[in-house]
Amino acid sequence: MQSETTIKPSNNYSRPIPLLAILLVALAVHGPLLMMQLPSGSFDTNFHIFFASHYVHHWFNPWNEKWFAGFSQTTYPPLTHQWIALFSNVVGLNMGYMLVQLIAVLLLPVGVYRFARIWVDETAASCAALGSVFLGALAFLVYQAGQLATVASAALYLNALPYFYEWMTSASKLSLAKGVAIGWAAAAAHHVTLIFGLVLFAGPVLWVACLDAHKERVSASIAGAIGRAIAFAVLIGAGVGIILLPYWVAIIQHPIHQIPIPHDSRANFLLKTTAGINYFIIPYGALILALPFILWRGASAQRLRPLLWGFWVTAIFGLGGTTPLPRWLLGRAFEILTFERFTFWATLLAMPIVGQFAAEWLRRYRTKAAVGLSIAAVGTLSLALAWLAINPYRPTGTLNVDPVDAFLNRDGHDAYRYLTLGFGNELSKVSTYTDASTVDGEYNSARLLPEMTHYGSAQLTNAKFYGSAGMDSLRSMLRHASRYGLKFIFVHDPYYEPLLTFAGWRKIETFDEGSITAWEKDDVPPAHRILSDAVPPAWQGLMWGTLPIGASALAIFLEVFFPNKRRVPVSIPVHPRKENQFVA
Amino acid sequence: MKLFLIIFFVAATVALIIAGLYQTPTASADTVGITSGSSLLAPKPDTPDRALTLFLQDMQRRNWRKAFGDVAQANGVDEQAMMQEWSGSNGSLRTFSSLEGFQLWPLHESNDDAQIRAHMRWSTPVGPVEEVRDFGMQRDGNIWKVVFSKIEVPATPAQVVPVTYLRWDLVTGGESGSWGSRNVDAPRVRIISMNAVDSAEGTVIVGEVTNEDTVPAFVNVNATLSDEDGKVLDEESSFDRIAHILLPKEVSPYRIDFPGIPLADVKNVRMDVRPALVPASADPVIGVINQKIDKDAQGNSVLRGELLNQSGETVNIPHVIASFYDGNGRVIWVSDGYIDRALVPLGSEPFAVEIPRSLAAKVQSYHVVVNHYDLKNS
Repeated sequence: MQSETTIKPSNNYSRPIPLLAILLVALAVHGPLLMMQLPSGSFDTNFHIFFASHYVHHWFNPWNEKWFAGFSQTTYPPLTHQWIALFSNVVGLNMGYMLVQLIAVLLLPVGVYRFARIWVDETAASCAALGSVFLGALAFLVYQAGQLATVASAALYLNALPYFYEWMTSASKLSLAKGVAIGWAAAAAHHVTLIFGLVLFAGPVLWVACLDAHKERVSASIAGAIGRAIAFAVLIGAGVGIILLPYWVAIIQHPIHQIPIPHDSRANFLLKTTAGINYFIIPYGALILALPFILWRGASAQRLRPLLWGFWVTAIFGLGGTTPLPRWLLGRAFEILTFERFTFWATLLAMPIVGQFAAEWLRRYRTKAAVGLSIAAVGTLSLALAWLAINPYRPTGTLNVDPVDAFLNRDGHDAYRYLTLGFGNELSKVSTYTDASTVDGEYNSARLLPEMTHYGSAQLTNAKFYGSAGMDSLRSMLRHASRYGLKFIFVHDPYYEPLLTFAGWRKIETFDEGSITAWEKDDVPPAHRILSDAVPPAWQGLMWGTLPIGASALAIFLEVFFPNKRRVPVSIPVHPRKENQFVA
Repeated sequence: MKLFLIIFFVAATVALIIAGLYQTPTASADTVGITSGSSLLAPKPDTPDRALTLFLQDMQRRNWRKAFGDVAQANGVDEQAMMQEWSGSNGSLRTFSSLEGFQLWPLHESNDDAQIRAHMRWSTPVGPVEEVRDFGMQRDGNIWKVVFSKIEVPATPAQVVPVTYLRWDLVTGGESGSWGSRNVDAPRVRIISMNAVDSAEGTVIVGEVTNEDTVPAFVNVNATLSDEDGKVLDEESSFDRIAHILLPKEVSPYRIDFPGIPLADVKNVRMDVRPALVPASADPVIGVINQKIDKDAQGNSVLRGELLNQSGETVNIPHVIASFYDGNGRVIWVSDGYIDRALVPLGSEPFAVEIPRSLAAKVQSYHVVVNHYDLKNS
């Protein structure tokens, strides 16, 4: 009787992990961290919340006067910001951000699972999905970089790719509809992911579909698969062209001609070890130990070779300036892009092979493997979280900017423009809650003022970190204070005080126990509207307010009302081994 | 196929990484002020040039311990003294500065010693500062080391300095949050000279402004250039090339740059001075001594001199503004420069400001005004 109820250990470790269990693990790991608002201190969180706050008040008007003396929000795909804006009506902006980030984090293992099923069996795919919850690169982007849109877009994109494969290999119209809708939503979340994803993610999928067609593992012919891939690409391209039309108009009208802004992800990691730790060791974590296996297994199985190529190219790009390849292939775009996102994509591309590795180990070594893999996974995540506290790139920490907002919102101070110095990403927080506008801002691609685009530095509030270029940019802006109505400057770093003193500003108030000082220039006239040809017309505002969110609504509708009958039509054992090899 | 692929990926990765070591570093990969860590692949300091490069890179990254290892010990400099000399003290401009870059020029080299001139570019809050410094190098076995000589600062004897300066306070009538006068007339301030100069960078307006009142004034001079159709070409201000606070009867030079606008395009210059009443004090008193026009290492004309702090408080960042006059007493140029060492009580520091080659021959006299930033009173 007892022997009938005992489950053999080998069965336990060979079975796929249920997706629901993986989602619960993701929720258990990231849910509390997000509800604690850990990403609040990340680089870009306040930036995303600032963009969202504009949609709360002006859903159909993307022209935002609060930064750069006016800029168009059509320069950044709006999907995640609009969802935050919608959630904020119930839970507020901060928690709205955390909810959207949580949704993206939960969509990611689902996407990894479904993407991995293209390449490996269900057990390996489930291991890949579970592993993706603990990725150092994910923790890096969510908690340190605050790259909500990159994470959300990648998660959506991974969910779209299996439909792309299904459409190519089985001509399922529902797969086409779902894949296209999710692809549109992914593009509406982040354009860069779509552009590079076409090559780095969709390329291997197209390749493997052709391989399967060639080997007659699927019913489609190679020509049919390629033809359907072209049809898919045309639909995606046309849709993205229309959905993000205001973005394309903005980027064509004002191409990014500014002087390149330094970013350590473009450094040579061997010559700049801190950058190497930040952009290689932390994102990969224990995956570094699996690199030989990824290479070995990826090269061994013919079906995995496209994935290996995709991983290798993406990983080399993720090394930034350590190799010359990104610069050769990207040209000037090398100086505009940042490369941490490539490392994130590389880890995602590696996950199917890593899942295969984990599944094999679990079959062979069972409990020992489970313990080892768990330690590796948790260690990777822990290292990325610990790095938040000790890395030299960490944001300056929380700063109470409420007195600054209170100052700007009283006594007609918002009739003038302001500047913050030494505020880091808290600039966005100040901007979110004041009516006054600033000449600075955190989104480099939207800058049009010559004082900012001609010097090769990013935000004025962080000018000192860009050396002479940054300080020259700041000096140039201060010189033209009267032109922009720039009367008030808030300083959280005494570094800037000598310049302000010599340039004719005087300290007038102190906030937050002396951590912030307010400076004023007496002879500055009130700010007036700066004329710009970048103001989007009303029809663009209407498109911007309906189509991106509409694309996501369509994807949700199709997923909810037309659930999948089967996930992925093909499950090929990529490296068949004798069963007795896996049984201890 | 499998083996070929593995060999290809490994070989290609290694080759690309090696190629990466030989490519010119991109400026867009370098931020200032963030710890960059040591290089995993540092070359051996087997030439004077390489040794000094490594030393300056370590100093730039503030790897003091490693940099001190590059210094010849016979010189008797300890690590603390080296750190302090390099990173400044007393809230001076150097304490706010980061070494942004450098270029080296060998002066001479023998088997056992060498001398190298370093042109160093510092990033500071008030703009880039150039420094030229000669480093001695010494052979130590197979490697070279830097002879780091500490600058000796004369110690001032303990003494009492009487405070007798004038001070003007301002009662704003309960109007909090405002520093200028809102309810009294502005002080009488007048531009006493103005001259438009055509420089290589564009039009430059130079001149002097004086406070004719009996109370201190805060001044800012603005200029607007227009062409012959009356169209405004540009509007700029004196920014930091003026002493903003003028005590009664005090005169300050000013200079307003209009980069990219040739004087030939300018038909009209409209000057605008905006004074405001402010509290001020005559302290600290900074004297200018031993002034003379001289040549620097590159053969450019410079006005050299010394600043003498006659008060009992440290002046953290002194700023020198000099106006140069021709034979008719007309201001023909205004130069300025920041001193990167603090002026300690009763101490002195040398200064030098440049005179353009094209104007050097016309300069007959000069006048130096010292502006300052004090940490305590900012």
